[in-house]
Amino acid sequence: MASEPTPRPAGIPGSPAAGPFPVGAYAAKLREELRKRARVQLFGEVWNLGGSRAKVYFELRDAAGAVPCSMWRSEFEACGLAPAALADGAQVVVAGGPDYYPGSRTSSPSFSFLVEDLRVAGEGDLLAQLERLRKQLAAEGLFEPQKRLARRAVPRAIGVVTGERGKARDDVLAGLRRRGWGGRLVWAFAPVQDRHAAPQIARALQDLAACADVDAIVVARGGGSLADLFAFCDETLCRTVALLAVPVIASVGHHTDRTLLDDVAAVSCSTPTHAAEAAVPLHCEQARLDLARAGRRLQRHGSEGVLARARTLAALSRAPAEHVARHRVRLHQQLRELRAAARRGLADRRAHSARRLLVVERKAAAAGLDRAREAVALRRGAAELRRAGTAASRRRGRDLERLALALAAHDPDRTLARGYALVEGEGGELVTGATEATAAAELRVRFHDGSVRARVEDSQE
Amino acid sequence: MIDQEQLTYEAAAARIEEIIKRLDSGEAGLRETLELVKEGRGLVEFCAGELEAVSQGLEELRLEELVARLEGAPERAQ
Repeated sequence: MASEPTPRPAGIPGSPAAGPFPVGAYAAKLREELRKRARVQLFGEVWNLGGSRAKVYFELRDAAGAVPCSMWRSEFEACGLAPAALADGAQVVVAGGPDYYPGSRTSSPSFSFLVEDLRVAGEGDLLAQLERLRKQLAAEGLFEPQKRLARRAVPRAIGVVTGERGKARDDVLAGLRRRGWGGRLVWAFAPVQDRHAAPQIARALQDLAACADVDAIVVARGGGSLADLFAFCDETLCRTVALLAVPVIASVGHHTDRTLLDDVAAVSCSTPTHAAEAAVPLHCEQARLDLARAGRRLQRHGSEGVLARARTLAALSRAPAEHVARHRVRLHQQLRELRAAARRGLADRRAHSARRLLVVERKAAAAGLDRAREAVALRRGAAELRRAGTAASRRRGRDLERLALALAAHDPDRTLARGYALVEGEGGELVTGATEATAAAELRVRFHDGSVRARVEDSQE
Repeated sequence: MIDQEQLTYEAAAARIEEIIKRLDSGEAGLRETLELVKEGRGLVEFCAGELEAVSQGLEELRLEELVARLEGAPERAQ
């Protein structure tokens, strides 16, 4: 098809331009002319780095413009750059000149600056801008509010902002399962890479934070170039996160990437799995075991606290009874010993008495004859005494009769019997003279057979 | 004793540890022991409730569904 020459058509009537020429010839001439231009060095930031097996492609940009660049892979590798040295945003100096791929009927033409040599010059403007913003947010204290928020050990609901089809979603689920967590997971899917991403992520975060149930929010995204992750360095997004009342756990990019969201968030994790684990600080299964153990210990303390004291009290209450019982046993023992001792003593005394009795009997037997003799002597003495007593009694009788006769001779009644009388006063006193009789008014005259009253009438006789 | 209104799992777990430490010391009298055990049981129940709430299996839903559910709740209540 391409081998057939196209017949030249008629030109535009009235046009001052030469031609018409075949486009392929013009494209070849254009490449030839461009390649004649002087080789120069350019500097700018690398963006949209990519490539094919043969070539590496990127755009060199600065604030005023951009140029598409290409470089033969063999020459790119000859530069000896570290694998991660050339990334989006990197400031580079390139040497080369303009080139033009003329294309064909089946392929598109393209212009590029053909790079023959390349040197990484340092952080690009983009990174410098990022660093300025980081310092500004830090100076405003916006890195702190999220870190001061209390995070629940067992959140009931967790919000997750991530791309709907990203691997981060599975990683978050794996992290939560690893924690044994089975609460409510609220997905807020949002684009995570383009100029629309930051506002939608911010809106999702605000909506999640507005739900009272949500205790923590995870923002997760897998790895990517700085340009890919730049949405998470958005100033508005970062200010929004800083002011949220719900803790945000960020996991954006790889561990070498550090977005501003990582600085602002309550916690920054290297992977979505770790972010999920940070959202649930407690290992739920372990916590259940620990709680059950604590419950058992409390139960044991409760029962032992009472039982130990009850046992002590019971022991104390038994002590007096045991004391009495011990004394009772001791007394019984002493009683038995006393009885035994008494029996032994009695037996000893009985034996002793028997021996004494035997001795006494023997002595008595020996003394029997002496007593008989003494009895005869005693009977003899007694007879003598009786005889002496009878004689003495008779003698005393005679003496008594003699004395009675003598006494009777002096009895006044015998005098009265002979005719005498006794004069007595009123009081029984003897009146022995006439004067006394005159003095007494009344007299009693006693005869041997009785007494009569008398009155003195004339004392002159 | 911690404020029941502000009770969190972390605070409850820390207080349970404190109570057990005190009981393990053997210095608590009978009345204090019984009071601590009662308080500890209450805290264990609270913590168990917190863990139970996240033991029902993962419930996944989209933010829009949650919002719709929350917006529908007052209407159902009416």
